[in-house]
Amino acid sequence: MQTLRFQGLTKAYGGVPALSDVTLSLSCGRVHALMGENGAGKSTLIKLIAGVVAADQMTVLRDGAVVPLRTAAEATKAGFRFIHQELNIVPQLSVAENVLLGHPAPHRFGAFIDWRSLEDRAASALAFLGAEHIDVRQQAGAMATGDRMLTRIASALVADAGAAEPCLYVFDEPTAALTVTESTKLFDVIARLKERGAAVLYVSHRMNEVLQICDDVTVLRDGRHVLTTQIAKTSSAEIIEAMTGKPVSDTIPGRTAPVRQRIACRLTTLTTRDLSGLDLSLAQGEILGVAGLDQGGQTAFLRLILGQGRIQKGLLEVLGGRAPKSPEQAWARGIAYVPRERRSQGLMLGMGVRPNTLFPHLGDYGFLAQKRSEVARTRTLADQVRLRFQGTEQPVGQLSGGNQQKVLFARAIAKNPKLLLLEEPTRGVDVGARAEIHGLIRTLSNSGTAVILASSDLVELCGLADRILILQGGRQVAVVDRQAMTPADLLSRIYAPEAV
Amino acid sequence: MKTWTLSAALRQWGTFLGLLAIVLFFAWRLPETFPTAQNFLNISQQISMLAVVAFTMTIVMVMNDFDLSVGSTASLAGIVAAALFAAGQPVWVGVSAALAVGLLGGAFNGFLVAYIGILPFIATLGTLTMFSGAAFMVSDGKTIFGRDIPAEFAGFARFGIPLDAIGLDGAKLPLMTIAAVIVLLVVWLLLEQTTFGRRLYAIGGNRVAAELAGINTRRLRLIAFGLTGLGAAVAGLMYASRVASANPTQGAGLMLDAIAAVFLGMTMGREGEPRVLATLVGVLILGILDNGLTQMNVDSYVREVLIGAIVVSAVAISAVGQRRT
Repeated sequence: MQTLRFQGLTKAYGGVPALSDVTLSLSCGRVHALMGENGAGKSTLIKLIAGVVAADQMTVLRDGAVVPLRTAAEATKAGFRFIHQELNIVPQLSVAENVLLGHPAPHRFGAFIDWRSLEDRAASALAFLGAEHIDVRQQAGAMATGDRMLTRIASALVADAGAAEPCLYVFDEPTAALTVTESTKLFDVIARLKERGAAVLYVSHRMNEVLQICDDVTVLRDGRHVLTTQIAKTSSAEIIEAMTGKPVSDTIPGRTAPVRQRIACRLTTLTTRDLSGLDLSLAQGEILGVAGLDQGGQTAFLRLILGQGRIQKGLLEVLGGRAPKSPEQAWARGIAYVPRERRSQGLMLGMGVRPNTLFPHLGDYGFLAQKRSEVARTRTLADQVRLRFQGTEQPVGQLSGGNQQKVLFARAIAKNPKLLLLEEPTRGVDVGARAEIHGLIRTLSNSGTAVILASSDLVELCGLADRILILQGGRQVAVVDRQAMTPADLLSRIYAPEAV
Repeated sequence: MKTWTLSAALRQWGTFLGLLAIVLFFAWRLPETFPTAQNFLNISQQISMLAVVAFTMTIVMVMNDFDLSVGSTASLAGIVAAALFAAGQPVWVGVSAALAVGLLGGAFNGFLVAYIGILPFIATLGTLTMFSGAAFMVSDGKTIFGRDIPAEFAGFARFGIPLDAIGLDGAKLPLMTIAAVIVLLVVWLLLEQTTFGRRLYAIGGNRVAAELAGINTRRLRLIAFGLTGLGAAVAGLMYASRVASANPTQGAGLMLDAIAAVFLGMTMGREGEPRVLATLVGVLILGILDNGLTQMNVDSYVREVLIGAIVVSAVAISAVGQRRT
C-alpha cells in the first residue's frame, strides 16, 4: 500500500453539521498530524474512519481502489488500528491477555487456552515496541500508565491470520495521560511503526509534539478542512492561525506586578509517606512550578497542601497557620484546587454549570438554597473565565474540554483564593482556551494569589513559573530559578537532576 | 444541544403517564369501588409506611449509596418500642427509644460505609442480619401484642381527621397519611432546598470531586445513612401501631419495595438522579397496583410477577431511552 485517501467525509448530528466534505490523504511511512480546536470535528472524523459512527458520506480509497468501511469490523479488517487516550485495559487480566484481547486466543485440543503460545505472541508484540521490560504474566492493573499505553499499542499490533496487516495507526491524544519519559518512549514506537511502512494519524493539541514527530499536518476548523501541508514548510504560528481563524500569539503573558513579601506557604525539611526533603517557601503572588517524571510526587505534593497527607517529619505552614487537615479546611482557609483529571476528579458531569461552580461555596448561602443569587454569581464567574456555555443549568458534560476546565477555574477563583493549587491546568485544552487560562493564572498571580502549578507542559512551566521545583520519586532534588530557563534546559534537569 | 423533543419528554414523563394509565385502567375495570374518595384514602394509608421508607431511602440513593437494612431496622424499632411498653414504660419512652435505635443503627451503617470504607451493599447486608437478629433477641422470637400495646399507641393508626367539612361524610384523613406527607415535605425541603441536600447531590455526581473540592463527604454520608435509619424506625412504629403488635420480621417486605420505588422515580430524572417527588410517583404506582389488583381478585403470586415485571420494564424503557439521547 502506498496511499490511503478518505474522501468527502461528511456527518451531521441532528441536522447540525459536525464534518463537511473533508478529505484526508495519508501516505505510508509518514506521520500525519490532525489538529483543530475542541469541537473542530477531529473526534467525529476518527469515529467515521473507525466505523463506529455511520458517515453521511465517505469514500475510502487504498491506492485508488475502494475499501468498504461501514462497521468497526470492516475497519479492523482493512487494517486500521486505533489507540485512544482512555487506556482501555482490563486491570484484572494479565498483560498477555490484554494484548490478545479481542483476538481469537490460541487453543490446545480445541478447548483449552494455549497459555504458552498466547504469552509468546504478546511478548513478541511488546518486543517489537522495545518494551521487553514488561512481564506479560503480571496483572495489567499493576502497571504504570506508560506501560499500559504500550500494552494497548501492542494489542493493536497483533494481526490475526487471514486479516490484513495493520496499515494505519490512529493515535488520539496519546500523550494526554503520559509523563515526559513515557511520551518519549511512545515517540520511539511511532518511529518504528513508520519504518515498518504504516501510515500514522496523530491527533494532539500539543504543538511541540506535532512539530517534533509529524511529517504532515491537516487542520480542521468548525468541521471543515482549512490546511494541509508538510510540517517542514510551516510554522506553529501558521498552524495556530489556521486552527483559531485568527492570529494568536503562543507567548505567555509576563509578570506585571512584583512578588509580595508575605509568605503563603513554607515547608521545612518535610517528609510524608510519598514525599521527602521538601524545603522551600512560597510568597504571595509567586508562581511555583512543579516538574518531575512518572508520578514523581506532584499529585502528592499538591494534595499535602490541600490537607490530604500525613506529615511524618518536619513542618508545613500554610497562610500563616498550621497545615489544613482536610480539603474542607483547606477551601475554608482560601486554598483552591484544580485537580489533574477534570472528568473523574473535578466535575459532576451530569450536573449543571451552576452547581459545579458553586458547590464548594454553598456554605456562603446559609442553610437554605438561594437560586437567584447563585445564578447571578455563576454568570459573573463565567464571564471572568470567559466560559462559553448555553446557560447556568447546562450539564457540564456537554461542554468542550476547554470550557470544562474553565468551570473548574470559575469554582477555584470564586472567593479570590490566597493559594491556588493547579495540576495540569491546560491538558487536553485547545489553543485558544489555553491562552485564556494562562492569562487568568497570570492575572491572579499579579493580584497577589500564590500559585503552585504542577504541569508536564514545559513551555507552560517556563512561561508562567517564577521558580520550578523538581521532584524525583517524591524527593525534592532542586528548586531552579526560571530566569533564562528554556523548556530544553528544564527537560535535561528533569531527566538527570543530579548531573547538574 | 438543548432541543425539546417528544421522545425526550416521553422518557422523562413516561413513568408519570404510566401511573395515570394504571389509575384510568382500574377506574374503568372497577368503576364502583376504585375511583372513590374512601378507596384513595385507604390507599394513602396502605402505602404510608412504604412511602416513609422510600422517601428516606432516597436520601442515601442521591449519593449513589443504598441501604438494605431498612426492613430489619423497621422491625427492630417496632420490637424495641413494644418491649418497652410491655415493661410498663410510657408511650413517649418507647417511641423515643425506637427512633434512637433507628438513628443510631443508620449512623452505624454510615460509619461502616464512609469511615471504614465498606461497600454499602456489603455493609448494610451485614447490618440487615445484625438488626434482624437483635429484634429476635429483644423479643425472644415472639410477637408482642394484646394488652402489652397501649391503646393510645395503637390508636394512632386508627385515627384520622374527619373530612365532613369538605363534603366527604364519614371519611377520615388518616394520621398515618399525614405522617407520610410530613416526612415527604421534610425530605423534599432537605434535599431540594438546603445546602445539605445540594451537597448530597454533588457527592452522587462525583464523590472524588466533591471530596477534593472541600466537601466533608464522610460526615455527610454518615448523617444521610442516619436519616435513612430514622425513617425506617418511623415506618416500623407506624407498622406496629397499625397491627397493634410487633414481631421481629414484620418490616422485612419494606426494603425491596422501597428500593423499587426509588428506581421507578429515577426514570424521571433528567440525568437519572433520584428526586423525592419522583419517588412518590414510584410509591403510588406500587401501592395502586397492589390495591387495584387485589380488588380484581388477582392471585397474590400473579400480582408479584406483574409488579416485578412493571418495575423492570419501566427501568428498561428509561435505560434504552437514555442510551438514544
